[in-house]
Amino acid sequence: MSDHHHDESTHHHHDHDEIEKGAALRVRAIEELMIAKGLINPEAVDAIVEYYERETGPRNGAAIVAKAWTDPAYREWLLNDGTAAINSLGFSGFQGEHIIVLENTEKVHNVVVCTLCSCYPWPVLGLPPAWYKNPAYRARIVREPRAVIAEFGYDVPAEVEVRVWDSTAEIRYLVIPQRPDGTEKATVEELAAMVTRDGMIGTARL
Amino acid sequence: MDGIHDMGGMHGFGPVDRQNDYAFRADWQRKAFGIVEALAGVVPFNADMHRQALERISAEEYLRHDYFEKWVMATETLLLQAGLVNESELKSGKKEFDVDMTNRTAAGPKELVAAFIAGVPLEFPAESQPARFQVGQSVRVTVNNPSHHTRVPRYLRGRIGTITHDAGVFQFADTVATGKGQCPQHCYTVMFSARDLWGESSEPGDIIFADLAEPYLALA
Repeated sequence: MSDHHHDESTHHHHDHDEIEKGAALRVRAIEELMIAKGLINPEAVDAIVEYYERETGPRNGAAIVAKAWTDPAYREWLLNDGTAAINSLGFSGFQGEHIIVLENTEKVHNVVVCTLCSCYPWPVLGLPPAWYKNPAYRARIVREPRAVIAEFGYDVPAEVEVRVWDSTAEIRYLVIPQRPDGTEKATVEELAAMVTRDGMIGTARL
Repeated sequence: MDGIHDMGGMHGFGPVDRQNDYAFRADWQRKAFGIVEALAGVVPFNADMHRQALERISAEEYLRHDYFEKWVMATETLLLQAGLVNESELKSGKKEFDVDMTNRTAAGPKELVAAFIAGVPLEFPAESQPARFQVGQSVRVTVNNPSHHTRVPRYLRGRIGTITHDAGVFQFADTVATGKGQCPQHCYTVMFSARDLWGESSEPGDIIFADLAEPYLALA
C-alpha cells in the first residue's frame, strides 16, 4: 500500500504550483492573442517593463530625501508642493502626478498604505513590493500600525503620534524619514545611501 | 463596491509577509505588467475601470490568485466588454477574429514609455468647482454602498472626521469607472481618530487620514 498521507505543506505547495502554472499560462495566452490581433507591440511591452525596473526605484526617493535633509529651502518646497519639488529633480510620471510629502519627526511618525488596492508613488519609489499589495498589510496597518511597524523592527514610542495615510484618491504619498543621528558630516550621496524604501513608506525608521 | 478588496481593518490575514520584498518574482509577472499597461491606451481603459474589474473578481478568486494574474483577469474582462476578444480565444490564446484597428494604434516602445513619463494628470483647476466644505470642518462619511467602484473604504463609512486639507479638484472615480464621465469634484483629506475607528486597542492620539471626494461627505 502506498503511503497517501500528504502533510499540509505539500498540499499548499501543490496548490501554489497550480496557481503559478495557471498564471503563467494565462499570461502566455493573452500575450499570443494580443500580438496576433495587433493590439500590442511586443517591443513596447518589454520597454515599459525595462523602464520601470531601470529608471524608477527607491534610489529616486532617496535622492529627494537626502536633498531635503541638507537643503532647508528644498525641504520647505517639498512639504508645500511635493509634485513640483520632485519634478524639479527630474522625477515625474504616472502615479506621481500628485505627490504629497510627509515628514517623520521626533513627535510624528507617518506611514502610507492603499487599503483598497495598491496605490504607490511609482516615479519616486518604483513599483511596490508584494507585501505592500498583499492583504495582511492593507488590512492591518490602518488598525494596528504600531504592531506592524514593530514587525519591521521599530517600536514607535508611545509619546510619538502615528499617522496612517490611506491613499484612497489620486494623491500619492512619500515619507521623509528622520535623518539618522551622527550624520552631520555625511555627504549628500552618503546620506542618500542610508535611505531605505521602507523608511519612505513609513514602515521603518533608519 | 462592498467587496473583498476593501480590506482595511480586517482580521485574519496573519503577519505581514515582509520577505515578499520584490516587485516581480517571475518573468510572467513582468509580462503581465507590460501587457496590461500597453493595452490601456488601446482598448482603451483607465485606472478606475481596471480597478472596478479587479474588484468584481469573486472574493475566493481574489484571495487565491496572484496580484499580477488578477491584473490580467481584470484586463480580460475589459477586452471582452470592448468586444475585442471572446472567451474561447482567451482560453486558447488563438485568435478567432480580427479587430477593427481603424481608430486604434498599438503604441511602439518609445511612445509607450513617453506616455508613462508624461503621466495622466487628473486634476482640474481649483476654481472650476465650488467647494462645499472647508478645512477644519467636521464631516461624516456618507453611508452608501454602491455595487460599482467607489473610493470609500468600508471602515470609514458613517464615521466622523475633520477636514485637514482641500487637495484640489479631481475626476470622480465612481463616474469614471462606470463610463459616466469625469464629473470633477473637490477632494478633501480627512483626519479620523484611531480610537473612534477601532476602540481602546488604539493609542489615543493616533490618526488615520483618507482622501475623500466631496460626494462622499456631509457636514457632521
